[in-house]
Amino acid sequence: MSAGYVLVVAEVRRGLFEERNLDTIGLGRELGLPVSLLLPENVNGVDELLLDRVLKVSADEGTFLNPLVMVSILVKVFESQGQPDFVLFTHSSSGAECAAYAAGHFSAPLVTDVSGFDQSTGTFFKSYYSDKVFAQFKSTSSPTFLTVRSGSFRENVTRNQAAPAVESVGDIAPAEGRTFLEYVEEAGGAVDITKAEFLLSVGRGIGSKDEIPRYEELARAMRAVLSCSRPVVDKLWLPKERQVGTSGKTVKPKVYLAMAISGAFQHIAGMKDADCIIAINKDPEAPIFQYAHFGIVADVNKLRDKLIETVKGS
Amino acid sequence: MEIVVFTKRVPVTQEEELRILEDGKAVDLRKLPHRMNDWDNYGVEEAVRMVEKGGGGVTSVAIGDAEADEVLRRAIAMGARDGFLLETEEVLHDPFARATLACNFLKKEKIPFDALFTGVQAEDDQFACFGGMLAAMLKIPYAAQVIGVDSVEKDHLVVRRELEGGLQERVKVSLPCVLSVQSGINEPRYVSIMGVRKASKVERKVFKASNYADNVKSLIEVTKWAYPPKKEGAAMIAGDVNEVCGKLLGILKEKGVYQ
Ligand SMILES: Cc1cc2nc3c(=O)[nH]c(=O)nc-3n(C[C@H](O)[C@H](O)[C@H](O)COP(=O)(O)OP(=O)(O)OC[C@H]3O[C@@H](n4cnc5c(N)ncnc54)[C@H](O)[C@@H]3O)c2cc1C
Repeated sequence: MSAGYVLVVAEVRRGLFEERNLDTIGLGRELGLPVSLLLPENVNGVDELLLDRVLKVSADEGTFLNPLVMVSILVKVFESQGQPDFVLFTHSSSGAECAAYAAGHFSAPLVTDVSGFDQSTGTFFKSYYSDKVFAQFKSTSSPTFLTVRSGSFRENVTRNQAAPAVESVGDIAPAEGRTFLEYVEEAGGAVDITKAEFLLSVGRGIGSKDEIPRYEELARAMRAVLSCSRPVVDKLWLPKERQVGTSGKTVKPKVYLAMAISGAFQHIAGMKDADCIIAINKDPEAPIFQYAHFGIVADVNKLRDKLIETVKGS
Repeated sequence: MEIVVFTKRVPVTQEEELRILEDGKAVDLRKLPHRMNDWDNYGVEEAVRMVEKGGGGVTSVAIGDAEADEVLRRAIAMGARDGFLLETEEVLHDPFARATLACNFLKKEKIPFDALFTGVQAEDDQFACFGGMLAAMLKIPYAAQVIGVDSVEKDHLVVRRELEGGLQERVKVSLPCVLSVQSGINEPRYVSIMGVRKASKVERKVFKASNYADNVKSLIEVTKWAYPPKKEGAAMIAGDVNEVCGKLLGILKEKGVYQ
């Protein structure tokens, strides 16, 4: 039944081909079938040599990355190209949204947030409990829908000698049930954490808003800039401009000192390129220790008090 | 508006060592405390605020064993009118099975709704796809990662979806629809033990999942549970608080960020 190829659905924002598409293409390569890329028109930054076929849809990106429209697009692609073995999306806001809706529509298997693939068993690794354990999933029918974790497979991309065939999928009608209106940029703040050389970053584990002034005191004393994980912003302990991660800022300081942050991939993605990562957590199994250069198992608030005392006393 | 919010009871694992049993057959969750999935707090709160403003009612639905009643009590304490438990002893790992079950239930019981809410994801399996699958099965629109509801009209909503890196998109979604609600959209109200106790007096209805089992099947299967692939890992700094403090400052000095 299936036509023996992998369909990769591109993620495009403001005319640019997002870098995390390399991970979906990379997983496509590991799956060992020809890779077709589906994308809207007028996209910059696509390296077509990474692909075996390119399928273009006459739609703008706001229409393209809409779950209702995506289903109609996929119906058309399956008709003209045959049914793929796998349909791959990025594990992002729109990628996961489209994949879920399409899998529900086609009654197709879906594994999200895939970060590994085991060739010998044909199983996909999916994170549970913020990376504390992983489940290996087997799909029982085809096409299998997958959303792919950013950073997981990009080293697998390979370049062809010749440019791929480019085909048009044709026009796609917008969906009545949901329409794109506009992009909205979150307001910037007074502090730019991306410029800091030394970030002192706090997570939910500090316990409460009442602890924040003492961390501010420590940051001042060490001449560090205070940043944080998402729950700290959600709880209004610190403003959004301080948030590190996929839905916040990407930072590359000389030193990133993470206090009571567990190490969910959405956080790691925003700080993994720091020169030196130091993690303090009371849980010796916290996933962040896998990414840190130095680790300390301790109660953060106690260690904070000692640090303030030492730094101020010296 | 009538809003149905799906709420899940999840284990609290942040500070726990998780043990894999029987050579990868299962994860031992027996001794862990449980609570309402954090993202669902935001979903319930948003729904309650919408009906407080515009009228209607909120129904909290949980899929799970009898203990999942706990999250229904919490949702009622937050302002939900009804709590429905779709009771099953079986752990449905595939969200497709859960979405099919929910779809059958809503249809068979003719549960009225203008909107269905879920959290963006569950803390335990982080699948982030139950709502999208359910919307497609019900043939109604879907918007994920909603971080703001800008306007509520008779036949549609205007919502903001969170994308990556500080970008959002504003979209118009027809009613009825499914929304997945992102953390930070509101500040969920505080729920006291007294509040939950009062909520326990409100009757919650129990529906047996086996009555809605048509086509409830798994399309993906867990073959094995595994610990995360070990990377190089951190060099651990040990000692009492004075020693650790000294060594930490030493590293900061060496890296040139602290004098
Ligand atoms: C679409 C989406 C986007 C997201 N974007 C982001 C993002 O941009 N940035 C981000 O950070 N997250 C993001 N998240 C959330 C992410 O999945 C995690 O929920 C979040 O990163 C967890 O934050 P945390 O580590 O502070 O809290 P937790 O995971 O709750 O961890 C708290 C940690 O503190 C430790 N701890 C507790 N008490 C103490 C103590 N006394 N001493 C020492 N340690 C202690 C615990 O052991 C635990 O490891 C996003 C999620 C989604 C679904």
